Amino acid sequence: MKKSIILILSAALLAASCVQMDLPSKNKVSDEDLLTSPSGMTVYMARLYSHLPLEDFKYMAKWGLNKNAWLGGLGGDGTGESINRDDICRSFVGEDNAYWDEAFTSMHDANHLIETLPNYRSNFNSDMQYNEFLGEGYFVRAFVLYQMARRYGGVPLAIKQIDYDPENPDNMELPRASEEETWEQICADFTMAAELLPETSSKRGYANKYVALTYKAEAMLYAGTIAKYNETVSGRLTGLGEKTGVRVIGFEESKAAELSKKWFSESYKAAREVMNSGKYSLYKKAWKAGNREAQYQNMVDMWKDLTSPENIFVREYSYPTVTHGIDAYSSPYYWHAPLAGGSCPTLDFVELFDGLPRYPNGQLRTTTGNGPAEGTYEMYETTYELFKDAEPRLRAYVILPDDTFRGRKIEVYAGIYTGSAPVSPFFSDYSYSSATTTYTNLDQFTNKSNQTLFMSPNPSEMTSIKVNGQDMTTNGSAGPWYSYGEATVNGFHLRKYLDPDLTLADIGEGKSDQPFILMRYADVLLAAAEAGVELAIAGAPSPVEGDDMLAVATQAIRDIRERAGADELTSALKADNESRDIVRRERRKELAFEHKSKWDIRRWRVCHEEGRAGFWGEQRDPSLTGSGSNFRFRGLFPFYSTATGKYFFDARFRLSVDKTFGYSPVDYYFAIPSNQVSKSKYIDQQPNR
Amino acid sequence: MKRTIKNIVLLGAALLASSCSLFQLDNYDAPEETLYGKVVDRNGNPVLTDQGSEGIRVRLMETSWEGNVNPLDFYCMPDGTFRNTKLFEADYNIRIDGPFIPIVRETSDGIVIEDNSVNTHIKGSKEVNFVVDPFLNVELLSSQISNGKITAKVRVTRGVSRDAFRDAVEPMGDFDPAFANITDIQLFVGYSSSMGYRNRDERWSNKIEYAGASFDAHLGEVVEITSLGAIPSNRKVFIRAAARINYDTPRGTGTKRWNYSPVAEVNVP
Repeated sequence: MKKSIILILSAALLAASCVQMDLPSKNKVSDEDLLTSPSGMTVYMARLYSHLPLEDFKYMAKWGLNKNAWLGGLGGDGTGESINRDDICRSFVGEDNAYWDEAFTSMHDANHLIETLPNYRSNFNSDMQYNEFLGEGYFVRAFVLYQMARRYGGVPLAIKQIDYDPENPDNMELPRASEEETWEQICADFTMAAELLPETSSKRGYANKYVALTYKAEAMLYAGTIAKYNETVSGRLTGLGEKTGVRVIGFEESKAAELSKKWFSESYKAAREVMNSGKYSLYKKAWKAGNREAQYQNMVDMWKDLTSPENIFVREYSYPTVTHGIDAYSSPYYWHAPLAGGSCPTLDFVELFDGLPRYPNGQLRTTTGNGPAEGTYEMYETTYELFKDAEPRLRAYVILPDDTFRGRKIEVYAGIYTGSAPVSPFFSDYSYSSATTTYTNLDQFTNKSNQTLFMSPNPSEMTSIKVNGQDMTTNGSAGPWYSYGEATVNGFHLRKYLDPDLTLADIGEGKSDQPFILMRYADVLLAAAEAGVELAIAGAPSPVEGDDMLAVATQAIRDIRERAGADELTSALKADNESRDIVRRERRKELAFEHKSKWDIRRWRVCHEEGRAGFWGEQRDPSLTGSGSNFRFRGLFPFYSTATGKYFFDARFRLSVDKTFGYSPVDYYFAIPSNQVSKSKYIDQQPNR
Repeated sequence: MKRTIKNIVLLGAALLASSCSLFQLDNYDAPEETLYGKVVDRNGNPVLTDQGSEGIRVRLMETSWEGNVNPLDFYCMPDGTFRNTKLFEADYNIRIDGPFIPIVRETSDGIVIEDNSVNTHIKGSKEVNFVVDPFLNVELLSSQISNGKITAKVRVTRGVSRDAFRDAVEPMGDFDPAFANITDIQLFVGYSSSMGYRNRDERWSNKIEYAGASFDAHLGEVVEITSLGAIPSNRKVFIRAAARINYDTPRGTGTKRWNYSPVAEVNVP
């Protein structure tokens, strides 16, 4: 009985269904919902922006764009800005999570907007409102293509909406375009975006005309540079795709110089348009002429100040919903929560800055002689004294030993030396070939019957020795220790972008919410300066009528140096490589820890063995810090001398962490994800792989 | 209730059994074919190298596979031989790239000038040998040791003359006579008996670099090169000399590969 009722009921249900299926689904959001009003567009924009491939606190170069704040650090991507203990710290030779699939999702969304929004033109009150949304589409597409091009070279130009079409799979296929076409498309899309977008964003965080122009300046600087400097790499870094015969990386030799000039010109024009708008300026709210303390404080304040006139494009965070963890991973050891020392600036980076004692070869002076193995160690009352004349910008970017941060002195020294003074250098050899030999190998440390060097392996096994009747710990309370990676490993700590106003209780994973400044006015000045000098070297006329490119470049560098408290630029820039290096060095310093340098050293083609003299923007002898395709970065280790009651410094490649970096010319273009190559009849792998 | 549970378990078991071809064996044979061979010069002498991406690369492309083929790369052993015992039975195109006149030469537009790669079917154990023209011949004549430093006497001669190099490479386009310049001589030192760039000890290995064509004056002459640092006493180390020209292979990779001497053993007293 029961059974038959069930049967009848199901039969009735079956019969009742399928009457009219041709109805829009209520749980699906359609173009009608989104593209017909500004509030619907907000939803569309939210998706476009949340997929935008931004490199900020949630970007680690090794992992790629997986938006993960874990281990948050800055500069540990083989640029030499910083190192740390983890394997995320390595040269930028590829990304685990290759940026490919998501790029096409973003481009599809942008194309859909560009192609469909005109149908709803009448729903928008003003041209301005309509143009802004259309312009966002072009901006997103240009941004995505730019991110791809600087990774892979030529990429499939998905500039039309491609829909799922299983009947004709060929319609969904798109081969890689040539690298030249790819950069041209990026240039065109940024130009279009800049024309459509309003001068001021209608919502905080949206792009506007000047955001588009600054990114255009940056992208075209990349394109112009590689068109020129690919030629300096043996093999010229070019080739034709195997499946298509398209020049997917590099440029034809006969066209490279012209393309380079053309793209530098585009970069220069875009940067100048932003400068001439007068809308932005360098942040100088707390800056005072001749006051180094004020200049330092000014450059500390600018990272958190959302009203900064320098900010052009900013990724904001907000506790407790949208957060990251830079303070939880990269603070000094006192704020170990759950880690510390994730970004330890290197001595080689610090040496870029002005106001330090130096040897004739430019390296930091630690002894009375002409090299680190000669003479005796220079003695200092405090570990900070060595840096007392350092440029304020260095102090704002890097916590120097014994400087104050979050209300306390950051005590840094690697050991206590009880031998007599003056102290001779610990090592006879400071060259790269002796890089692995460190303080724990020294006879002064290992010879327990006559030990004069005292160091502890880690903070929980820290010992003390009697100094003038008082106990003194063998290492600074912030490190470094000879067998411990969760504190500074080389004597320096990152200060830039760390929140200076926190206590230990405020720090933790997912508790930080300071903004990341993706693009600022200093970027624009440096792009104009670099493009200007490169154009002058190439003998090209100024792309902006009435502009003296070298005068513009000179003024840009002077302004940045003045704000930073660096040495004044005494003579005007000229059309030569020395002037180019002045601009590059300034860029290396100013934009450090902002995810910019790893792209700069890539586009300058100065990571591989033969180009590495230019790695730091300025010319340095690469054999001092590397051999073959390998290289390392040094730390600066302070020691306390009981005989003098003073500190001395030793520059060395390693104490605890042993990091070697490497780079080959093929790494200048990342490999296309191999699953994409094998599943498509059209997608070419890099011809040089 | 008990019955329901029992039914669910039974149903689950039935589903498990029916899924994934539980009772079918994977009938695809494991890759167990072998390819081996050697790279020799015109006189039958092996072309020595270093095992790694800076050495001689063997690249297999499966030609019997319909669709897209990803290359299968592996590297020659230091003595210039290669062996891969885990290949699927198939047709392959085999090419090698290293410090010798490229065996596959194309113009920049992709027109083939010469193609000495090998197309073959691999089943069982297959031997394929390549005869090439190495750019340089490097001899390690003798070595002396004093105070932990090794001084090696090295002689470098050209395997292909500048003219022969030009004849072979110029048709590939973008030719520069500087390609044939000898850029550096290396002395690799370390504890590994398979000494080379990869296994070198950076504390002791050294190099001499030559600008432009300046090395040409030393061709065929004995060049002395001394190791860095001091090797601790009572050790046995291995040394090897290498030299290269200013030409990357394959073109476009930027990797300039070295020609190597045989390995020598040095006892540090």
